[in-house]
Amino acid sequence: MSIATSGRDFDTSKFFGGIARGIAGALLFALPMLMTMEMWELGVYMDRSRLLLLLLLNIPLLIVLSDRVGFEETSTWRQAIRDASIAYALGILSSALILVAIGVIKEDQSTHEIIGMIALQAVPASIGAMLGRSQLGGQSGDDHHGDGSADDDPVHERETSYAGELFLMAVGALFLNLNVAPTEEMILLSYKMTPWHALVIIVGSLAAMHGFVYALSFRGSHDLAEGTPSWHAFVRFTLPGYLIAGLISAYCLWTFHRTDDMGSTQILMIVVILSFPGAIGAAAARLIL
Amino acid sequence: MTKISNGRNIEASAPHWIEWVTGAISAIIVLTVIVWIGKDGILDRDRSPDLHGQVVQTEERSDGFQVLFEIHNDSSVTASQVKVRGELRDQGSVLESSESVLDYVPGHSRAGGGLIFRQNPAGKELTVRPTAFDEP
Repeated sequence: MSIATSGRDFDTSKFFGGIARGIAGALLFALPMLMTMEMWELGVYMDRSRLLLLLLLNIPLLIVLSDRVGFEETSTWRQAIRDASIAYALGILSSALILVAIGVIKEDQSTHEIIGMIALQAVPASIGAMLGRSQLGGQSGDDHHGDGSADDDPVHERETSYAGELFLMAVGALFLNLNVAPTEEMILLSYKMTPWHALVIIVGSLAAMHGFVYALSFRGSHDLAEGTPSWHAFVRFTLPGYLIAGLISAYCLWTFHRTDDMGSTQILMIVVILSFPGAIGAAAARLIL
Repeated sequence: MTKISNGRNIEASAPHWIEWVTGAISAIIVLTVIVWIGKDGILDRDRSPDLHGQVVQTEERSDGFQVLFEIHNDSSVTASQVKVRGELRDQGSVLESSESVLDYVPGHSRAGGGLIFRQNPAGKELTVRPTAFDEP
């Protein structure tokens, strides 16, 4: 739902309601990361070019996400860009507030540290703000089909393009990955595991991913058209989704310096272990978003 | 393409060829990863880490001489809490020593750190070697 459609029918309570939902979303999604020690440390020491790349990549991500999940009815790219900037700003603001409130940011720290910590946290927080505005938004106040036209509401009959499905999976994977990728547990797990453990995790991730979307009857789960064998969906959606989860995992690990100076097998192992939550996130995103 | 109809998502029965190509490429990559890891599972028979140290460079800094080192692990087994000891010798007698601890040296990988000496290592014998480790 868009917070305002034009200057004339600007609704103040709706606008602030949207902002509040954004902050709620940022808190809901980013608090685990705001309270993770490694995220504070990364904000201080991580390579500034990698941080910049992450911050820049977040902009198109938010814009597409805004276009894709936020505003089905009156969406234009201009509105998507506007809402993406609001979400980013809310992410920065709420990260800064929380980090100050929990005593991680103190006045004796250098601006280099403070900016780094806030900037890094703003990425998950802004995604949270964007999702919060769309996913936590209720129907109250903007009931567009009160005249009984709900049955032919275009929102109930829409198609998601293939690229759109893959994008949603990437967002879901990114979300869970950002939560766990900075923690030391990820590298520690990859060191504890043998290659055989990794193979089991790969098979388990694929099975969990496919099951989440097709087998378990969650709300929003997917069905195949009559007469289509189930391996079709496995090849067309689950395998590409797993690959995306893997690529997002690799990107997160590289961003957080978790793959520096590592041998190729070790990198594969840590990508596989991080892809496990990533795959679950990707599958869940297809159901929820 | 996925069609959403009254809360149900139905995958299209006649998908675009791009969906099959993407699926096929993904399948190949996932299989490659499985084969790669499986190969290591069969071939790697190492039971313990194999660590050795190497001096990368020496630089003069505000408070002494900074020796950057790397510890290489030639085995597939990861070592944690690797103690590294650097010694500066002149004609057999130890002039100065310095220690550091690396959190992890992953299998078939390297990890680096620095040691700081008061005296210039140039012209003297400098050794950097791992002295102890834990299992992760």
